[in-house]
Amino acid sequence: MQTKEGSPRQLLEQRRSSLSSGRGYAGLLWLAAGIFVVILAAIIEGIVSQSTMAWGHFGLGFLWSTAWNESTNTFGAGQFIIGTLTVTGIAMLIAVPVGLATAAFLTEMCPRRIATPLGVAIDLIAAVPSIVVGLWGLYVLQPVFLRDVEPFMKKIPVIDFAFKGNAEGASYFLAGFVLSIMIVPTMVALSRTALAGVGNTDREAAFALGATPWQVIRKVVVPGANSGLLAAGTLALGRAVGETIAITLLIGNSLTLGHPFSLLNPGATLGSVIVLNFGESQPGTLLRSTLLALAVVLLAMTLIVNIGGRLIVRKNLLFRLP
Amino acid sequence: MSTDLVETPSPSGKDASYYERRALIQASARGTLKRRRTVALAIRILFGFCMVLVLVPLIFLISYVTKRGVGALSVAFFTHTPTPEGIPGGGISNAIIGSLLINGLALVIAMPIGLLIALFLIERRGPIPNAIRFGADVLSGLPSILIGLFAYAVIVTHTGHYSAYSASAALAVLMLPIMIRGDEEAMRTVPNELWEAGLALGARQSRVVRSVVVRGSIPGLVTANLLALARAVGETAPLLFTAVGSQLFSLSFNQPMNAIPIVIYQDGTTAFKDLQQDAWGAAFVLMVGVLILSIIGRLFAARLTRKSR
Repeated sequence: MQTKEGSPRQLLEQRRSSLSSGRGYAGLLWLAAGIFVVILAAIIEGIVSQSTMAWGHFGLGFLWSTAWNESTNTFGAGQFIIGTLTVTGIAMLIAVPVGLATAAFLTEMCPRRIATPLGVAIDLIAAVPSIVVGLWGLYVLQPVFLRDVEPFMKKIPVIDFAFKGNAEGASYFLAGFVLSIMIVPTMVALSRTALAGVGNTDREAAFALGATPWQVIRKVVVPGANSGLLAAGTLALGRAVGETIAITLLIGNSLTLGHPFSLLNPGATLGSVIVLNFGESQPGTLLRSTLLALAVVLLAMTLIVNIGGRLIVRKNLLFRLP
Repeated sequence: MSTDLVETPSPSGKDASYYERRALIQASARGTLKRRRTVALAIRILFGFCMVLVLVPLIFLISYVTKRGVGALSVAFFTHTPTPEGIPGGGISNAIIGSLLINGLALVIAMPIGLLIALFLIERRGPIPNAIRFGADVLSGLPSILIGLFAYAVIVTHTGHYSAYSASAALAVLMLPIMIRGDEEAMRTVPNELWEAGLALGARQSRVVRSVVVRGSIPGLVTANLLALARAVGETAPLLFTAVGSQLFSLSFNQPMNAIPIVIYQDGTTAFKDLQQDAWGAAFVLMVGVLILSIIGRLFAARLTRKSR
């Protein structure tokens, strides 16, 4: 609802700005905008400035070094970057297809009587705090994973290569699985909005040509909603990368990757290692600075996901379905 | 293979090969229709199964937290401060009050700033509002742990001690992008004619905004602010660097303060059964609180859409 050029309101605005009556109000708005810019700058400055010691000490090699030894003061971010990517990858592999299918089922394949209450319920569940989900995962899912799920995953052919080693309960796999439960409501809610935004006339035209519901989804609805779906995926990915506290409870918090690397190993993510070590590190030490350097890596990762995702959505480069 | 359509008499003398070809096409069309319908049915079952996959863990989660949490509730749970493990009669009163105070202050800080920034986005056009909108979207995607580290770097390192108001500052930053976008959307639903009518009466821009725009979009503003609050109340990571938690009852914003998520995190990871029970009670209280906030917010939003129809 933008004002049209030359509308009465705009003419009045012009008149008004030539008088000085609206100055205080306009100034207040600019002040608020200025505060916002200062906050954004302060977030980046505050985190980056405290990490300079670590970057100076380790250089860019910090990014791929997997060392972590407090007695010799050698630290690396490699295992935590891999941990974050692994956990996020597992969560996205589960949450994206399941979430998309659920959203498609709710908007296209089920009566509105059922779809509306279910959609609202999923929206509400998306609001359950992550610490609560984490606590549930720790007490309910971890024993089940240790006893049943992880031994079972080792027996599945093709993907069993990723599940070598002993089942220990707390692992990349458990953390990724619980993370997928946490981001799936977001995925469903956002893709439902995107799918519902496709015009009904397009659907009706396809049905009139004799298309089945599945063909309508595949050839009309999904191509029509692709940028919205991509945005949903990006936001879910951003949430997954940044989620910290539930993962801290579930990933087992090992500071090494473990050999051989397996999804059943306990590990750590950028967020979990910061949370666990921050209280013990003294201000001004290399360890504290290293933790802030890990925060810088996390900041960079989320910025890449968010800004990259938005640019792709804007240009609509991906999801060019036939 | 049915041939009923083939036997209809043809007006023009078409030869047998015409009917043969026609039967072939019809049969294959029937075949693909059957195949397409089977595929569509299979997909529908598969997708419905996916929906069950989504719902089942969430239902288990909510019912389990309710079961364990209700068992932990008692009068002392709401009225007493924590006791060490093994000593009965402990509660989380300081955490409940702490969560209310920390989030209340955060709301007081964030609400006016968010509203003013939203107004800025509505009143101005061009690259600067667009950049701020982009910034709000990016900020809403930042992990909460980074917001907590920011509050630590900017406030805690300068004051030299952990404090409740540093937690409020972190949560206010967390609320801000949700408020900005929600407020903007809510105020955009106010029809242009109302702006113009207000201005035509000779009212100042600020007066029109106050009496027409803000008042006319109150349900939407309430929704945006409640959803922002619901998000902030459940955040744990920012609190760990700012309010850090406390066993004592404190009303001072200058001191460390306890909060419900901190209780869940700290007591939930101990080996003591009674503390674990407190964690479940706290988780239940937090979950119910957040759900109530979200439901009230949605009811306001529903009222808004009914009105605008």
